[in-house]
Amino acid sequence: MTQTLKAWFSDLPKAVRILIFGLGAVIILLIPRFLTSSYIMGIICRILLYITLAGSLNVINGYTGQFSIGHAGFFAVGCYTTAILSSNYAWDFWFTLPIAGILTAIIGLLVALPTFRMTGIYLSIVTLGFSEIIRLIALNWTGLTGGPLGIKGIPAPQFLGMNIRRAGDYYYIFLLFAVLFLLVTNRVLKSRIGRAWISIREDQQAAQSLGVELVKYKAMNFAYGAFWAGLAGAIYAPYINYVDSNTFTLDEGFNILSMAIIGGMGTLGGPVLGSFVVNILNELLRPVSAYRLVVYGLLIVVMMWIRPQGIIGASDSMLADDRTGADLLERLGLKKRRTA
Amino acid sequence: MSQLLVANNVSKHFGGLKAVDNVDMIINEGDIFGIIGPNGAGKTTFFNICSGVYKPTTGEITFDGHSLVGQKPEQIARLGMARTFQNIRLFKYMSVLENVFIGFQTKTRTGLADAILHTAAYKSDEQLIREEGLKVLDSLGLLPFKDTKAGNLSYGMQRKVEIARALALGPKLLLLDEPAAGMNQLEKQELMHFVIDLNKRGYTIALIEHDMRFVMNSCNRILVLNFGQKICEGTPEEVREDKGVNEAYFGKGLLVGRKGAAA
Amino acid sequence: MDYAISILVNGIVQGSIYALMALGYSVIVGITGLVTFTHGEVMMMGAFASFYVFELFGSNILIGAIGSFIVCGILGIIIYKVCYERFLDAPRHIALICTIGASMIIKNMAQIVFGPNQKPMFGIFENQLIKIGPVQLSVLQLVILAIVVILALGLSLFFSKSKYGISMRAVSQDKTAASLMGLNVNANALLGNVIGCGLAGIAGMLISVYYQAFQATMGGPLGMKAFSASVLGGLTDSRFAALGGLFLGLIENFGIAVSSASFRDIFAFIFLILILIFKPQGFSKKGGIKL
Repeated sequence: MTQTLKAWFSDLPKAVRILIFGLGAVIILLIPRFLTSSYIMGIICRILLYITLAGSLNVINGYTGQFSIGHAGFFAVGCYTTAILSSNYAWDFWFTLPIAGILTAIIGLLVALPTFRMTGIYLSIVTLGFSEIIRLIALNWTGLTGGPLGIKGIPAPQFLGMNIRRAGDYYYIFLLFAVLFLLVTNRVLKSRIGRAWISIREDQQAAQSLGVELVKYKAMNFAYGAFWAGLAGAIYAPYINYVDSNTFTLDEGFNILSMAIIGGMGTLGGPVLGSFVVNILNELLRPVSAYRLVVYGLLIVVMMWIRPQGIIGASDSMLADDRTGADLLERLGLKKRRTA
Repeated sequence: MSQLLVANNVSKHFGGLKAVDNVDMIINEGDIFGIIGPNGAGKTTFFNICSGVYKPTTGEITFDGHSLVGQKPEQIARLGMARTFQNIRLFKYMSVLENVFIGFQTKTRTGLADAILHTAAYKSDEQLIREEGLKVLDSLGLLPFKDTKAGNLSYGMQRKVEIARALALGPKLLLLDEPAAGMNQLEKQELMHFVIDLNKRGYTIALIEHDMRFVMNSCNRILVLNFGQKICEGTPEEVREDKGVNEAYFGKGLLVGRKGAAA
Repeated sequence: MDYAISILVNGIVQGSIYALMALGYSVIVGITGLVTFTHGEVMMMGAFASFYVFELFGSNILIGAIGSFIVCGILGIIIYKVCYERFLDAPRHIALICTIGASMIIKNMAQIVFGPNQKPMFGIFENQLIKIGPVQLSVLQLVILAIVVILALGLSLFFSKSKYGISMRAVSQDKTAASLMGLNVNANALLGNVIGCGLAGIAGMLISVYYQAFQATMGGPLGMKAFSASVLGGLTDSRFAALGGLFLGLIENFGIAVSSASFRDIFAFIFLILILIFKPQGFSKKGGIKL
């Protein structure tokens, strides 16, 4: 369906396409003027934040076939970096941003490095463990992170001399970074680097035989994903104004993961859609919030049963369970041999 | 003629199984080098050692003056050795052209910043792989299928795409693992001419093949393996005359029978 | 000196529970060829199951063990049906994601049904100490050691002697060949999952009895520890997995002794990273799990 929509759109005359784009951009930019409810703006901000978060996880899980599940840990590193630098050391928010991103990428790399030569499952466990460890460190290193009390009163970022305080203002920051993330990632994916990532996902051994440096590209991919998660965390810190370790539990990681899975991994649009679906579901489930993660768990399982590639993933992709092509897959060694 | 790939006493043991046992071999520049032998003779294992998939248990391989021991497959590819796989390992969900694009990894240099900022380096890389990629496809007659998903092509076509992808590396040595497997006689004939043609264009080729006619008519040197050991290495004529080869292939009894019939 | 010995004893006892967790884990991974994220939640369910068994039938650790084995075995059947059966021949990540979904369901349902707070476990044994030379052991510690050793020996006997065990080993080595030999791969994988989950249940009971406490969120770190320990056996070799568990228990207890108990779960992670750096394939004969 997305294909026909795309085709229909690209068939339109150029002027019409520009008009549609322009109109869309104006509407998106004016949203905070129309929607003054801070409740609704809050939800929209979350959606935009999670586009970057789930999207960056998807870069790792969807494009190189590694499987990180501790994304909350990287989110936490970015968040704490900005919180600590801006409240304890009075750094300007905009300077903490790149530091948060780069630091997260470096830490992510150090953690994941031993697993790049191994099966994807090792990375899963290491990231899962890392996510818990970061939370434990945040909880126990009181001198740096405030321990169980967290860090309160994180200064608001300034933009052109204005303090950014309301959700309606943060909207623009979240929007800027979500759009930036999508544009930049789109470019990376359509380059030699993105192709190398995808080739690793499709067939690691073949990729190597063509000179694709496995460890280098897996590391680059992982650092790239962690970088954006760190940035998202950095923006989240002043927005939420208060960070403590309870924000970054494994459940938060699963929350991000479910967005990528439900939307469709291996597509740029998947996590965007996933962020909308899960965050709106989040609000609908507010009266029974205890069941929230049960519902996500069920959704994930159901998704795997009926549509493993996610809502907008292509059915003819590596991530789909393409049973009709099972014989071919076996022959290609892309799939475990049929057992029963 | 210079020596391109030299294997010295190469062995690979899996537990107690000696898959490859003390094999010596020299591939010269300009060769079409055939490796033959019965099933399980260790041919593919030998290829996998050459291309870095396995580490040899003992022995040494040098390629174009570089020792290959301990090198990773991607490093060996960068040295100029490209290969295809016995069980075809295409990126089956990518288009044919995209498959070939991956083959240009070693020839391009786009970094993260180049890709994000669309610098001149990015643009020239993209232009290069598009032009050269189309050229490679054209030379194999694959141009009409450039946008087809590789997995949707016929078996013979897939083999060709795999070769095209390997050629994109501009390899000094091309390893073909059973390129004619699953092809009919006509396709085999066509492939054979294609291999000979490639060789004339300057590619050194090593291939594993079961079809004797294919090997005898295309290769200028042949290595015969049996139970991991080298039985014979030489020109097609020498191999044809070699007693050990006949025994390995047809069995002693059969050989006697054939002699008897001839007498 | 006494202090060091008591740490050693605690480490061995705790390590033996980890060994049991890792045993179950490696049995499941070995036989299904797929990795699971539900193991921690199964252990948590084992702890709850034993609690209710103790409440109903009295504080007998054997009955508790049987109860948690049965409950978790049944849970294992459900997990198998939901996460594995359909996906044995599908791309690997699908079953993996399924087990993540299943673990989310189990963990959060448990929080809803049993409440999120820590609960005290029944004291099964008097706090009586036994002295053997310089070594001091509580009755509970001795019982835990005995149970784990008996189960490990039983498992090893089962795999080497019984008809089912041998066919399970065949399946775990080569599913295609096993099915050509007329073995029912599906049934064997199911049985393996039931045994693995059952053992996890008993491990969950032991850990909650040992700590005198249990809660719905205890599964996460436990699953992580089971995995870390099994990495020593390349995820599939149960003997080295058990050894890994023992090591992990010792490292954890000595680590806590020099730092603080709040860092308990960090040591499993460090252990895991160290193995991945120095012996990534573990000590398995088969060279660990394949891609």
